[in-house]
Amino acid sequence: MTEGQHPPQDGFGSEPAGGPEAARIRFLLLWYPRSWRVRYGEEFAELLTAELAELGPSRRRTANVAMTGLRARLAGAGLTSHPLDPEAAAGASLAAVATCGVAAVLAGGAMWAQLAVGLQWSVPHTRGIGQSMALMSGALLLLAVLTILAAVPVAWTAVAAAMRGRGRAFIAPALLIGAGLTVLVIGGHHFENGWPGTGGHLLAPQGGVPGGVAAFGWAATMWISSYWAHPAALGAFPAIQIAWMVLCPIAIGCMLAGSVQLLLRVRLSPRAFRYEMRLISLAWAGLAAFLSGALCWLLSADAAGSGTLFQVGAIDRASFAVLSIAVLGCAAAATQVRAAAILARSGGPIRSTDSEARAR
Amino acid sequence: MKARDESGTGAGAGQEAADTAQAAEAGRKRADAAGALETLGRSSGPASLILSSLAGGPKHGYALTKDIESFAGVRLAPGTLYEALSRLESYGMIEAVESSDRRRPYRLTATGAAALSTYLESQRKVAEVGLSRLAGSWEMT
Repeated sequence: MTEGQHPPQDGFGSEPAGGPEAARIRFLLLWYPRSWRVRYGEEFAELLTAELAELGPSRRRTANVAMTGLRARLAGAGLTSHPLDPEAAAGASLAAVATCGVAAVLAGGAMWAQLAVGLQWSVPHTRGIGQSMALMSGALLLLAVLTILAAVPVAWTAVAAAMRGRGRAFIAPALLIGAGLTVLVIGGHHFENGWPGTGGHLLAPQGGVPGGVAAFGWAATMWISSYWAHPAALGAFPAIQIAWMVLCPIAIGCMLAGSVQLLLRVRLSPRAFRYEMRLISLAWAGLAAFLSGALCWLLSADAAGSGTLFQVGAIDRASFAVLSIAVLGCAAAATQVRAAAILARSGGPIRSTDSEARAR
Repeated sequence: MKARDESGTGAGAGQEAADTAQAAEAGRKRADAAGALETLGRSSGPASLILSSLAGGPKHGYALTKDIESFAGVRLAPGTLYEALSRLESYGMIEAVESSDRRRPYRLTATGAAALSTYLESQRKVAEVGLSRLAGSWEMT
């Protein structure tokens, strides 16, 4: 590429594609993330063309490209190290922490909401359930506070950029977050009125959780349900409730997509980054506490044969699996945030053309 | 990370110093990486082959594949080659050469030459020890 030329934004090369070989190469390139394709796509396509001309199609080559492409995607998502662009890698790792954190809170929140409902109506037979509820509630409270504290410098950086006339990149993420949050709050408040805990025994223990909070948690995680596997039973639900079970994950998805876009676009100052890293360490401790609480419930309920309200179902075991994977993903991404930030401070190796393209 | 913290004051001086030390340590680690290809993990094998090939002059991807095949008897798969190339480039051991061709050539940098030299010296020692012990204990046919 000569000086003054810029790589095509899709990274597929600048010449029009044609023929089965070109289609094959375009397909192979799709294994790689866009940022990688922008940087290496054109020359990599040339290499593949030469390889295909000399040796013909090969499953082994396809597998090799797929594997290395997926590794590049993991690196692009901030889950493995790849110092192509430390600044962008740090943002990607921060976004990966947020994604894993949201997945963990959703999976764990569904378990917590079920316990909260149970505690409105019944006293558990074992102390373990009460203890697990206390642990999970405490961890959720900590995570909520940390989320707010973490959002402040990100929002401030975006607002400051907007005030300097460079806020266009943040409009779409802000709209996504705003729309998702609006739907979640309005819908959650509407459906929490139908909370099974409403009208529970006045003297029943509430697990130290205010009824309104528990009800909102229940409404926001209603869609994480094994009813999806039983369409006949699901069909008996009111249509509006089924609509909410579809709309709610979309709203949460919008908020997450907006947050990830925001984290990928915002460029935090080193100080803000250090602050975020400290919060991430605390958040990881919170997630570990939450995981311990969830495990405590699973073990207590199974061991004591607790009543139906505290019974552990397939959806709870699945949620626990998702929660565990998300906590591990969060730890991996947090490690990469720190590594990328330190590497960037030491004068990162190179900047990807993707970053430059974004800057333009 | 660019220093955009214009509001930075002396309040976080201790942390600043700690982070500067960390950054210096990271820099040292990267310098060490330049002297030890093993730190490139799974890419260290292909990396030594690529650096050896580039020691003979700049080459693009396909030329690298053919050259490595000719002197090492190993044909690097395209994904493996570019995974190693991107890591070597990010560590400053190689650099892309401006070209009007779509096949972008790469050349060895001074850092890369030093890393390759260190790596090959260590490999030579291993080879010499192994060969001398084999010569003393085993009769090779």
